[in-house]
Amino acid sequence: MLNKLSFFKASQHDSWVKPFLKHYKKTLWLAIFLGVLTFICAGGLMFTSGYLITKSATPPENILLVYVPIVLTRAFGIFRPLLHYLERLTSHNWVFKMTSEFRRKMYDALERDAVFFNNKYRLGDILGLLSEDVAHIQNLYLRTLFPYFTVCGLYVFIIVGLGVISPLFALWMLVLYGLLIFALPLWSVIVNGARQEYEKQIKNALYLDLTDNVLGVSDWIFSERANDYLKRHEENEAKLLTTQEKMRKFERRRDLVGQFIFLAIVVSLIIWASGRFGGTETDSINWIAAFVLCVFPLADAFMPLPTAAQETNVYLDSIKRLNALPHPEEERKKAPAVTAPYELQVKDLVYAYADGHHNVLNRINLKIKPGEKLAILGRSGSGKSTLASLLRGDLAPTAGSVTLNEIKTTEFGDDIAKYIGVIHQTPYLFNTTVVNNVRIGNEAASDEEVWDVLERVGLKKLIKKLPQGLETMVDEAGLRFSGGERHRLALARILLKDAPIIILDEPTVGLDPITERALVKTFMDVLQDKTLIWITHHLQGVEHVDQIVFIEDGQIELQGTPKQLADNKRYQKLKQVDGGY
Amino acid sequence: MVDKLLFKLAGIRQIMVKLAGLSFLQALLIIGQALFLSATLTDLWLGKPLRSQVFNICAFSVCFILRQGIDLIDAKLLDNYARQSAKEMRKRLLEKIFILGPGVVQTQGTGNLVTLTLDGIFQVENYIKLLLSKMMSMAIVPVLILLVTFWMDITSGVIMLLVYPLIVLFMVILGFAAKAKADRQFSTFQRLSNHFIDSLRGIDTLKYFGLSKRYSKSVYRSSENFRKTTMQTLRVAMLSTFALDFFTTLSIAVLAVFLGLRLIDQQMSLFYGLSILILAPEYFLPIRNFANDYHATLNGKNSFHAIAKIIHAPLPQAPEVELTSWQATDGFKAEQIGFSYDEQNGIAPVSFAVKGYQKVGIIGMSGSGKTTLINLLSGFYTPDSGEFTVQGHKLPNLDLADWRKQVLYIPQSPYVFSDTLRNNIAFYTPDVSDEEIYEAIKVVGLERLVAELPEGLDTKIGSGKRALSGGQAQRIALARAFLDKKRKVMIFDEPTAHLDIETELELKEKMMPLMQDRLVFFATHRLHWMHQMDYILVMDEGKLVESGTYSELLAKNGYFCKLLSEMRGDTDAK
Repeated sequence: MLNKLSFFKASQHDSWVKPFLKHYKKTLWLAIFLGVLTFICAGGLMFTSGYLITKSATPPENILLVYVPIVLTRAFGIFRPLLHYLERLTSHNWVFKMTSEFRRKMYDALERDAVFFNNKYRLGDILGLLSEDVAHIQNLYLRTLFPYFTVCGLYVFIIVGLGVISPLFALWMLVLYGLLIFALPLWSVIVNGARQEYEKQIKNALYLDLTDNVLGVSDWIFSERANDYLKRHEENEAKLLTTQEKMRKFERRRDLVGQFIFLAIVVSLIIWASGRFGGTETDSINWIAAFVLCVFPLADAFMPLPTAAQETNVYLDSIKRLNALPHPEEERKKAPAVTAPYELQVKDLVYAYADGHHNVLNRINLKIKPGEKLAILGRSGSGKSTLASLLRGDLAPTAGSVTLNEIKTTEFGDDIAKYIGVIHQTPYLFNTTVVNNVRIGNEAASDEEVWDVLERVGLKKLIKKLPQGLETMVDEAGLRFSGGERHRLALARILLKDAPIIILDEPTVGLDPITERALVKTFMDVLQDKTLIWITHHLQGVEHVDQIVFIEDGQIELQGTPKQLADNKRYQKLKQVDGGY
Repeated sequence: MVDKLLFKLAGIRQIMVKLAGLSFLQALLIIGQALFLSATLTDLWLGKPLRSQVFNICAFSVCFILRQGIDLIDAKLLDNYARQSAKEMRKRLLEKIFILGPGVVQTQGTGNLVTLTLDGIFQVENYIKLLLSKMMSMAIVPVLILLVTFWMDITSGVIMLLVYPLIVLFMVILGFAAKAKADRQFSTFQRLSNHFIDSLRGIDTLKYFGLSKRYSKSVYRSSENFRKTTMQTLRVAMLSTFALDFFTTLSIAVLAVFLGLRLIDQQMSLFYGLSILILAPEYFLPIRNFANDYHATLNGKNSFHAIAKIIHAPLPQAPEVELTSWQATDGFKAEQIGFSYDEQNGIAPVSFAVKGYQKVGIIGMSGSGKTTLINLLSGFYTPDSGEFTVQGHKLPNLDLADWRKQVLYIPQSPYVFSDTLRNNIAFYTPDVSDEEIYEAIKVVGLERLVAELPEGLDTKIGSGKRALSGGQAQRIALARAFLDKKRKVMIFDEPTAHLDIETELELKEKMMPLMQDRLVFFATHRLHWMHQMDYILVMDEGKLVESGTYSELLAKNGYFCKLLSEMRGDTDAK
């Protein structure tokens, strides 16, 4: 039965929700304990109040006889809100602690494929999903798991408590409360679960469809077909609304059933209490009101459960998605070390994607001598960027080899950063100060060293002019700086790192020719004494390099020094177009 | 607290009257329920047998059930009303977006607009629901309960009456305190919460520097800092719930003790005492519900206002003239056209005149104002000053259907819909035959793509399905242009900026024939296109610095020549 519920199925092989429950166990128990106590106080308040009033009506000979209930009433009245407050603080604190661990785990999982992160996952998607997933898991703990644990504690307390007084009645309550705690939520999950699944699907589809068409809004407007789309959207939306209506309808009825069960509990209590305590002249008659009244505040604990249980369906995707993330990488063995001079060699390199359809790169041979400047040209999709990843060892060749001083680049692990630096199309600037961004290259660099590299990349003046200088915050995703300036900052970073080999992966795409030219010149100037591998699809500035390689369809099509190629027809033509002739 | 916008919703008055009636009934049933329960308990306490209580218990049950029934009707009414209002609102919002077009998309952001249209409106739906129901029960139920309490016992009534404003006062004070604290921490808050996303976005950079593994600790650390600051704020923020809880439970406790003392003094009957005790929690229930949901409704309120702002945004005044299909003899003139986004960005007044099937190049560096000019020509922006003259009609802007009908607008990255290749190509001309589509495919050089697609024309393409390269997307846009022969004006916005040079050349070959017999505006920073242009506008820092034919500009030896030489400077130096 339980296996039919997708939530339980998903949690069987879960490594993201369950393990964290074991973390900080003490705090978790404390939160649950406080939660149970809160409700006991709430019930206790009405219990003692009921007792106090009926006892007072006897009336007692003097006030001292009701002294204990008076004190208890006040105590429960004060402790209920206090415990509730503490319980909420404790549980939130626990969830946030868990979130920290959670983020770290998530980061580690993604770090494995760091270099391909931006290609593999569509950035917006994954970030949106990840932050949503974190929020979902937080909600799962706060709104479903904790309340359930608390209610189970309360359930045990009620049943055991009543069991001591009257086992038979306790059994009856076991059934009635059981209906509220287990049967009703289960029914809710089963009936509305499928609808919720469907709702989610339509919602996602609507999301994708709307995004797609808002992005293409100018085409809708120019083609004067906007109404076609609006009509289509309305039809899809109607499906969503019908499903939602059905769900709400069920929920309203389910809540009514819950209230009926609750009424049954109250009436049972009246009947039981009158039988157990009534019809006598003794003090015990005062317990009737106490027992009946104390049940009302407890409704707050039980009534939200079906909704809470039903919500697990919403979190399901998050749990699945998180469990699908790769497991964090094991520590690598010690990386080899090599010393100058550095020589990269590519031998019979073949690379094919996992699906193995065709070779992205086919039998590439290259020898890059220390200090050499190499330009790799080719259309987009010709395999240039794949070659860069292979050079750095982020990808392993399907056949052949890429070696740095005779050692395969894949064997260096993260240490490859010491030897090979990369500037790619859209260098990422972190949302911190300018100086922190530059210091990513070398965290121990002094302010002078930072200024020095900034001067070399031609940014010193600009940064000096900023009111906060080096401490200026780079706005989110580096938007404060223009395209050219961002590349210069990235270059400053690389200079601080001082790796002997630099890969420039199409660093000037989309820049206008003049900015491009200035940037290329800076690159060439400051990287003069380094080995340079420059991937580009423009010929702007290409005459500065020692060697040019044209890649087409995964193969080297043309190779030579700029001088050697100068007579080549194709080279001439492209060169001419790039010059605007 | 009370939202004026809410009262502008259609049918709000009727629903409020209905809800008020229901709340009134509900209050009566709550009181009835309490009185019958109290009567039962009192009689049992007096030693009467259970049998004599059948009527009281039944009456209590009936009140209880009816109350829940009214709750259900209330919820149903609200569900339906909120859903209808939300649906209506979504419709109006979408219509507006698809009229305002790229302008509103650009300022609001695609993601934001989509979220607003879907989630935003769901939040609004929730907001309407919660606010209406909670407001009504808060306004009616406590008042009736209070009246009954006063009737039973004046002192208890006074206690209950006094506590109420006290609760509200403390909630307001603590609410402000929490807000102040939250505001103070907001900047650190933001930075910390962004840190995680920031680390992920830059994760490849970190890896390139060999720092990515170490950053894991930093992610944890900053998340922990985040937790600490959040908890500090929560400690204050949760105090307002605490205050609410505290005053309600304490006042129940005080009432109980007080009632007990009165009973000992035999100043009131047990029936009244119990009734008041049972009613007290019900008296506080509406405000507790309201406070619990208050935060949940805040998002809804914000979305509601954001949506209303878009829906009520004024529409640009479309000029009322009739334009005919563009012909070789027609003239187009821009006189002193100016536009500014803010004080620094925009274009200074621009004037030029072109006619017939001229090809007009617009050249300049990034940020020179090319795109702004294109957006004015395509009608996305309304100029701040100046006017256009098209076919002899004077027009303050080009945002009119008669102009759009003949324009083919091709941006840097033409949008490819998540749809079949056929629908994408025939987007502007849904009725064309397959033969025509195949012809278009041949003309723009998409045969290789079609051959690669498993289901040919019926293969779904677009993001998430089968993403196309920049060159392929451009070819699709060109195919659309080829099929739509009625449109005689082409507007290009840097169509080749992201393409590699060989693809660019191939495309150029395909593009040039399509520009025949059309008025063309072509913005680019790639100079080689200028040879094919009949007239060139040279932009620099938002100004039109030069205009003329290629040879005229060469002869002038001005900024255009400077652009040329700066680009080639590199080559010449060698």
